[in-house]
Amino acid sequence: MESKQSENLDPWGKPVGGFANWLKDHGRTFNETTLFVSQRLASSLFVWFLVGIALSLPGVLWLAQVNLQAVGEGWQGRAGLTVYFEPVVDTQDIEDVLLDLKKVPIVKTASLTTSDQALQDFIAQTSESQDLRNILESLDANPLPASIQITTLDSANFIQLESLQRRLSAQKQINDVVIEKTWLERLADLTTLLNRLGWILGLLFAFGAIFVTSASVRLAIESRLEELRVMALVGATRGQMRRPFIYFGACYGFGGGVMAVMFLALILTSIEGPLQALLGSYQVPLQVKGFDGAFLLWVVGVGVALGIIGAWVAVKQRLRSAQIL
Amino acid sequence: MAGIVLDNVTKQFSNGYKALEEISVTFDAGTMTFLTGHSGAGKSTFLRLLIGADEPTRGRVLVGGVDISQLRKKRMPWYRRSVGVVFQDHHLLADRSVFENVALPLRIGHFPAKEIASRVRGALSAVDLLDKEKLLPGFLSTGEQQRVGIARAVVNRPKILFADEPTGNLDPTLSKTIMDLFSQFREIGTTVIIATHDIGLVKDMGQPTLNLIAGRLDPAGSSGLVGQTEVRR
Repeated sequence: MESKQSENLDPWGKPVGGFANWLKDHGRTFNETTLFVSQRLASSLFVWFLVGIALSLPGVLWLAQVNLQAVGEGWQGRAGLTVYFEPVVDTQDIEDVLLDLKKVPIVKTASLTTSDQALQDFIAQTSESQDLRNILESLDANPLPASIQITTLDSANFIQLESLQRRLSAQKQINDVVIEKTWLERLADLTTLLNRLGWILGLLFAFGAIFVTSASVRLAIESRLEELRVMALVGATRGQMRRPFIYFGACYGFGGGVMAVMFLALILTSIEGPLQALLGSYQVPLQVKGFDGAFLLWVVGVGVALGIIGAWVAVKQRLRSAQIL
Repeated sequence: MAGIVLDNVTKQFSNGYKALEEISVTFDAGTMTFLTGHSGAGKSTFLRLLIGADEPTRGRVLVGGVDISQLRKKRMPWYRRSVGVVFQDHHLLADRSVFENVALPLRIGHFPAKEIASRVRGALSAVDLLDKEKLLPGFLSTGEQQRVGIARAVVNRPKILFADEPTGNLDPTLSKTIMDLFSQFREIGTTVIIATHDIGLVKDMGQPTLNLIAGRLDPAGSSGLVGQTEVRR
């Protein structure tokens, strides 16, 4: 009863105009933060650099995962087997195998490459290498075997492919049967591995980014501890005291995010050549997926969020230990 | 108007030291009271309880009918905005000009820029520091720093004014000026409580006095309380 009465008589209520003042405070804090960061550009750059590194590695792994997945999807239509015949084989034997394959339910297409065609293709692909051409011309006979490229239905699973491989391998005129699907399986495994690794490293580096911003904001708090004590005694709210440091955290996170985007662009530019060569050997055109506007915004957004979390942790801990909050 | 009541207040620190013991006293709104006593008598702790910087171990501190120790942390800032405090060690911000130091409570209270300028210059004029508004506190003497602290305490036109040794570093003439300033605030209804060693000044002002001895009220050393400030034992 007494406390209710005290509540009614309370002369220390919140003043009017709270929202407008709150907005005004944000505007002023934004200006102060810009000034603070620009006055300490070297140390701010150092924090941005560290947060940028922390964000870019998971970013690279994520991009790698997305692109490997895309390569896998690109190969899906050409999944199947390649049958390599012995170097010397009767044309009739090859025709028999072709006819036999057309009766197999999971086989979609089966196309023959004769040993002469294989040689011509090889010469065409190695047209720039005079040495290879000289070697080929010096041979008495064509060393390349005839082969059949088999594509299977999308519904065909790995067990069915293995069963067909075993059946074909048992024929004596066939030298080897290669399942293209194994590449896809490996690729899928690699994608899963990168996905897991990305999450684990992402979490670890996120903690790292939080730690870096938290430590930097803590330093800023230390340098303004006396000011905060005075502010508290002359009536600053908890929000007014916390706000500048939350803005510092957001600013450090934002700068770190921008830095991470720059690192990622640099990494992609530097691996573009080797990647093009690798993908070209599988007849897959180089088209980096995922590095788009949404991804860049996401990286910067994550940076800002981690910066704010780091700052929040630092403010809460330090101001509480200094008995200000 | 805000009257202040300390109801059987004891403050004991974690090391067992009792800074204040069973203090019961009422300060009517619009009065000026001196708090006297030797160093370590509990004057600063008394003021810290009044501004909510410390909580009593037992008892209640009521200001305007509200128990300050029960104020939620969210509401404490609103209370402190209506209180002016002069600290013994000034608590000035070394990297802010005299003007900015005095303007701090007004900036926190979201006053318009024009009003801030007008009030800050008014307060600086009252403590005779108008010509030093652009200087950093480090360039001022201890007495001048003290006066900046006083200007900051009164710039908000507080309902309650607490001062801890406000004239400790001032010469007699300036001390008298500052006391006259506090008296003007009392005349417009501000409750003023001043902790001081300066017995001569207390006698000159002829205002009620509360004397503390080892954290307890000393009725024999207290004076002029009847009708304005009541000491209950």
